[in-house]
Amino acid sequence: MKTESTADLAAQAIVLRAEERFQAHRMEIVTWTDRFFARLMVGEWLFAIALALFFSPYAWEGKTRTVHVHVWAAVFLGAAICAFPVALAIRRAGWVVTRHVIAAAQMLWSALFIHLTGGRIETHFHVFGSLGILAFYRDWPVLATATLFVAGDHLIRGLVWPESVYGIASPEWWRFLEHVFWVAFSVVFLAMSCRRSLKEMRLIAERGAHIEALSEAEWRRSSVLERVAKVSA
Amino acid sequence: MRTEWNGWLAFGVVWALTLAPGFTLLWKYKARPGEAEGAPPFWPAESRIPRREDRATLVLFAHPQCPCTRASVAELARLMAQLDDRLRAWVVILRPSDVGAEWDGSDLWQRAAEIPGVTVVRDGDGVESSRFRASTSGATVLYDTSGRLLFSGGITSARGHEGDSAGLERIRSLIRTGKADRSDAPVFGCSLRHAGRPSPAPLEETR
Repeated sequence: MKTESTADLAAQAIVLRAEERFQAHRMEIVTWTDRFFARLMVGEWLFAIALALFFSPYAWEGKTRTVHVHVWAAVFLGAAICAFPVALAIRRAGWVVTRHVIAAAQMLWSALFIHLTGGRIETHFHVFGSLGILAFYRDWPVLATATLFVAGDHLIRGLVWPESVYGIASPEWWRFLEHVFWVAFSVVFLAMSCRRSLKEMRLIAERGAHIEALSEAEWRRSSVLERVAKVSA
Repeated sequence: MRTEWNGWLAFGVVWALTLAPGFTLLWKYKARPGEAEGAPPFWPAESRIPRREDRATLVLFAHPQCPCTRASVAELARLMAQLDDRLRAWVVILRPSDVGAEWDGSDLWQRAAEIPGVTVVRDGDGVESSRFRASTSGATVLYDTSGRLLFSGGITSARGHEGDSAGLERIRSLIRTGKADRSDAPVFGCSLRHAGRPSPAPLEETR
């Protein structure tokens, strides 16, 4: 009876240790990714300003030029997009809210880049690239937040100003679903990959906990044997 | 902890309240069309741009420094790729007399010149744009083989925004089927008006 209970306790200790190792590893990943995104967003901000200054520095009225709205948008709207997620990433890295705010902000960056590059189809790849980077978190709800932002943006703009999304004034009401479908398509597979990564992380944590427990037990046994040997000598 | 949470919540609310109007203003700017005076119903007799009599003629008026017009030129390239054999196109680029040489070598000029079936010409002091009553960069007119106006308007959906647009679709439809739901579309771009530009010709109802 006593042996069984000791075995149970040992097993429980291993489970607890595995959980701790898993959570520590996960926290390390999300914290690193939060800080990575903080740097990325500052980089995106500088890139947006450079893009606006290079491609659309001025608007013209005949021979008179004024600073183009894109430049102001890149400077001020870009700074506004960065402010909250970067502050969270610096002060509250690893917090659940931080990564969801980052996901939303990253989608806003896609929207701003699409505006700054005149709706070029190539810039829309920023959305898919961003989803791939958001998958660094290995946390599928973050991808869901990003998808909801894209869907919301398309739904609202599709109702208020459909030409900006579809090029025509009266698209079918379900048209936004076509765009969201392709985002969801990549998100589903990224989410599967996240879940698989988490399983592997858990497995690594369990193996680590086992090895730790075994080496501790071995260390204890060898200590006892050493003491017994000393006493016998 | 609660105070900190409230602080972040307030920050988040301010963030959302800053971004929503920011993006709305940007959208509004992009959706605001330029002036449109209505092109002459018949090809202006005094125009020095040659009109083809075996196919429709399209003329796009551009400000060489207007960043928004790159999208119009990109859309013209798409249009020509689809309708090259049924359309002859001209890109007429504004050149006021008292500006620097950089107005002649803009990337817009080069991009337009690279499109098959398109000829780029300089519009000294905006004389031609005035004849066609085009006052916004990106304004596009389409005339049939007899010189009758088929379409007048823009070929982008917003200011400097590539992609499908009502204007582009109407031109396609007019060339392919001879009809469209409308013969105009809003023009998005920089103003072509400047001191020294002749006043636009009055609209003539007859040729």
